[in-house]
Amino acid sequence: MVGEEHVPMIPSAPSKAWSAEVNGQFREVLAPSNAILLDVLRDKAGCLGVKRGCDMGTCGCCTVMIDGVPRLSCLTMAHEVSGREITTVEGLANGSHLAPIQQCFADHGGSQCGFCTPGFLVASQALLNNNPCPTEKEIACAIEGNLCRCTGYQQIVQSIQAAAAIHRGEADAVVSNNAAHSDPHPSGPEM
Amino acid sequence: MSKDYVQQAGMNKDVRVDGKRVAGKLRFNPPGSGGSRPEMAERDLEFIPELEGGNEPQPAGAHSHDSFRTGTTVGKRTPLVDANAKVTGQAWYGDDIRLPNEIIGRIVRSPYHYAKVKSIDTTKAEELPGVIAVSTGVDAPSKFGVLPVTKDEHAMAVEKVRHVGDLVACVAAIDEETARQAAALIEVEYEVLDAIHDPKKGLLDVDDPIHWRGPYHIGSTNVQKRVFQEFGDRESLEDTTKAFHNGKWKFMGVNHGFTEPHAVVAHWDSNGRLQLYTPQQVPHYAHRALATVLEVPMHQINVIRTFVGGGFGGKSDPFPHEMCAAILARKAGRPVRITFDREEVFWVNRGRHPSHIEVKINANDDAKISGFEIDALIDGGGFASFGHVTSYYNGVLATAPYELGSFHYTGARVWTNKPASGAMRGHGAVNTRCAIEVGLDDIAEKLQVDPIDLRLANLLPPHSKTITGFRITSNGMRQALERVREGSNWDEKFRKLPIGKGIGIGCGFFISGSGLPIHWDPHNFPHATVHLQIDMDGGVTVHTGAADIGQGSSTAVAQVVAEVLALPLEMVHVRSHESDTSPVDLGSYSSRVTFMNANAAIGAALEIREKLLNAAGDILDLPSDKLVLNDRRIYFKKDPTIGVSYLDALHKSQEDIGALIASGAYRTPPMGGVHKGAAAGLAPAYSFSAYVAEVEVDVDTGLIKCTDVWAAHDCGKALNPLAVEGQIIGSCHMGLGQVLSEQMVYGRTGHLQNPNFLEYKIPSVHEMPNVTPIIIESCDPEGPFGAKEAGEGPLLPILPAVVNAVYDAIGVRVNDLPLTPDKVWAAISKKMNREKIDDARDLPAPRLDFSELQKKLIKRSAEHKLRDSRRQRREDEGPYLNGVLFGLDPTLPPEEQDETWKISVKPDSSQLDNLGLAGTAWTKKEQRHMEGEK
Repeated sequence: MVGEEHVPMIPSAPSKAWSAEVNGQFREVLAPSNAILLDVLRDKAGCLGVKRGCDMGTCGCCTVMIDGVPRLSCLTMAHEVSGREITTVEGLANGSHLAPIQQCFADHGGSQCGFCTPGFLVASQALLNNNPCPTEKEIACAIEGNLCRCTGYQQIVQSIQAAAAIHRGEADAVVSNNAAHSDPHPSGPEM
Repeated sequence: MSKDYVQQAGMNKDVRVDGKRVAGKLRFNPPGSGGSRPEMAERDLEFIPELEGGNEPQPAGAHSHDSFRTGTTVGKRTPLVDANAKVTGQAWYGDDIRLPNEIIGRIVRSPYHYAKVKSIDTTKAEELPGVIAVSTGVDAPSKFGVLPVTKDEHAMAVEKVRHVGDLVACVAAIDEETARQAAALIEVEYEVLDAIHDPKKGLLDVDDPIHWRGPYHIGSTNVQKRVFQEFGDRESLEDTTKAFHNGKWKFMGVNHGFTEPHAVVAHWDSNGRLQLYTPQQVPHYAHRALATVLEVPMHQINVIRTFVGGGFGGKSDPFPHEMCAAILARKAGRPVRITFDREEVFWVNRGRHPSHIEVKINANDDAKISGFEIDALIDGGGFASFGHVTSYYNGVLATAPYELGSFHYTGARVWTNKPASGAMRGHGAVNTRCAIEVGLDDIAEKLQVDPIDLRLANLLPPHSKTITGFRITSNGMRQALERVREGSNWDEKFRKLPIGKGIGIGCGFFISGSGLPIHWDPHNFPHATVHLQIDMDGGVTVHTGAADIGQGSSTAVAQVVAEVLALPLEMVHVRSHESDTSPVDLGSYSSRVTFMNANAAIGAALEIREKLLNAAGDILDLPSDKLVLNDRRIYFKKDPTIGVSYLDALHKSQEDIGALIASGAYRTPPMGGVHKGAAAGLAPAYSFSAYVAEVEVDVDTGLIKCTDVWAAHDCGKALNPLAVEGQIIGSCHMGLGQVLSEQMVYGRTGHLQNPNFLEYKIPSVHEMPNVTPIIIESCDPEGPFGAKEAGEGPLLPILPAVVNAVYDAIGVRVNDLPLTPDKVWAAISKKMNREKIDDARDLPAPRLDFSELQKKLIKRSAEHKLRDSRRQRREDEGPYLNGVLFGLDPTLPPEEQDETWKISVKPDSSQLDNLGLAGTAWTKKEQRHMEGEK
């Protein structure tokens, strides 16, 4: 491991400062100038909830919201979105409680193995933010870029519809029909 | 606290406003009863069987577990117990394991289909700054493989590479970039050999077979496994045959397409033990293989199963990259993480075998299936993997749900220079099932009867035996067929829809756990073991090795424990990730987990239940059999006010011994015949399913759109209907991919052309039909609370249902999956030419006028329905062997009553000239019988 000079096959790019508002927190890290957003989020910003499925924009597992718009982080240059607002699956929860979309995915079988789930959640939350009354067709168009191999999408669509009903105020926030799930973030004893 | 001490309370903006009570917020009255609800829930009579005094209907009769039902969770739509981790991004998959000081591994792969490795020079890679470890095949020469009989894999190539992408060497470096550079700097000298890509050529003698099995090698061919099975009397068929079907099929290879690429992290801890993190369906086999390859005892390895981002059979082999990570980590003294690109996932493959299948079906005057012949040549790729079993499954899993007059199967699995095929959802049964169900549709057409009635009049009853001796217990096939017929409005649509629209039927039959574990030995180990532990807090910890791969096995096991002990699900915690703490479980394959693991868990829970009841009896001074368990309370049957809380009883039973511990185990009952291969396909129970699919075919382009599916699946008892429906719809999706768009395309030179999701077409949400899942509950006598599998069986019927629907739509059968528009359009235009039609829209839609036979079939199925319902409810417990429909005595084996009845597992010399494509593998001799012949 001595001697010869380091001859990179892949051109190494110089690192430069990258900053963004990740899930409401200002983050600043050093990242190569050609870094992919997915790598920065996973390896530098600690957002391991953003999943890497294909690296070429075909599976949708790495979907994140950039200024509220769902984008594939594996096809996004990190420095292109420097200074923007980025929301990953970790940023969906309302404070310490599950967002309706998360609760509905859990309750309606929208998540089986769970690997595609972060991408679906972000894509469907972006839809619901703009459109609280999506039709089945609109839901399908919102998640058409996301592959799920377990559920066959039907229970995912049902989960999104249920979450939309909560957003519209037509259904109670908590629809869980049994007490299997206590809150994942209990906020301590009530005084 | 001094007076001037000021403590600011933290922000508390997150108090829930929805009123949901949160665990940890409640003060329980000492000694408390645990759980997040202060009040005991009332006994939920809707989920207590009617024969036990509840309101849950039991059309299929009683079950031995009925008296342990407490109405807590079994049968209720239950979110997965790990769903919250998944929806918050906290679930840790393979690549999410980040250990301190980790380095990144990369694998050097073969660029050639088939070559001798002459030399490997790693000097340049080792000299690259940042490279920590390099390894090649000489570091780990031991062979491994998932089946003990076919260990043919190495961690990295030893002497030969067998397909493009085969592992040659590996490197570990400080970061991915350096590791990739180092991998490119490894110089390998190859001598390229003649590669084989066409499985038909695998049947021929060659100079240099892909593997060499010494005295057991079949000639000098590339045949890895051959099977011959003959049951009954085929010779006499010609005289009685009224309708005959001969279908020749080609099936392309299919990949599992799980969304999580393989990833592994290996770390030798400070005590020199290997901690291996991997998304494995079958951690125990990986554990065994690691011990062999690394030459360390099993107890010095801890296999930690991460969350598994989809498996479907594709993560059930012990993998070479797992060995590589361990070898690199051992050399480097640092944790090594290897994550695959999507392309590498396709090189590893283990997907469904590309197959050539020929099916021949004879039906006699009474529309009974007198002859059933299957020939399956399957393309195994470079390694054996599960292929030994697949070779059998392609035939034997077709022997039900129909009663057969005779059965003949010849199968062969050949090695080719492609990524290895292996086990994939519906292992080995899918392709043959498609061929035979389409064959039955054709037979119905020829006999001019309704294909559903044809099936209904030929079903094996519950509690019967198939022609090859599989013991069928519960059987909901008939209800499944009736329900989809009704749901789809079949009678109004079949052969009545306009051109371009069609409806079709398909059935399925699958094992619920394989009868013999892959690693069996003289010790009679159980297939599944579950440990329960309850300490003073009242929470139940379930230790199990069962691998939850998203199907919800952890939820199922938590449910059955909660059900027996009448505890809220939140008080049951499943610990299943580490081999250090989990008892051995054989893993998530062959749809065995719910059946076996839940049975083991029930056994353990019953032991705890007895202790709790005895303790409660001691406190109350009542005999324990007069007590009832309900939500966190145990009370007197006749007067519910006399009782104790769960924690009171628990603390009483913990006197002097501390935490309650119980262990439960499951082994299959002894089953099966004595002929060679009799064990393949044996299962303690079988699932049945029937689907009706409706399609629209664009006759101008050949594009197929599946619009609706009615999917009935007999899962015995739906422990969790939400999960069962998820499995049914998910199976539909995967099967639909295989029948319409998914294929691994190998080019003219044998190169895999589409190792990515851009060109390997998995259906998106737009391609999904509207699926109506229909759960049939036949209450299996040996299943946990009556349950059977629901994960794989539901995939089988969708393929033939769609193919049959396409025929109903355009009157053309295409026997080459997937049914891509080019193939369908070619078939349409051929038909147009033949019938001299210019506009495809003028093609005649298929129509059917029923023959006299139709009435006969309806009458027969009505009689059989009565018979089946009596047998299901055990009102008739007489034996029923396949063959009764053909006039045989049900109490005697057929070979004792019919002189011409054959049972043979090897062709005799007169048969050798008359074998199907795969059957020709039998014309070769094994080396040990060749005595110097060339």
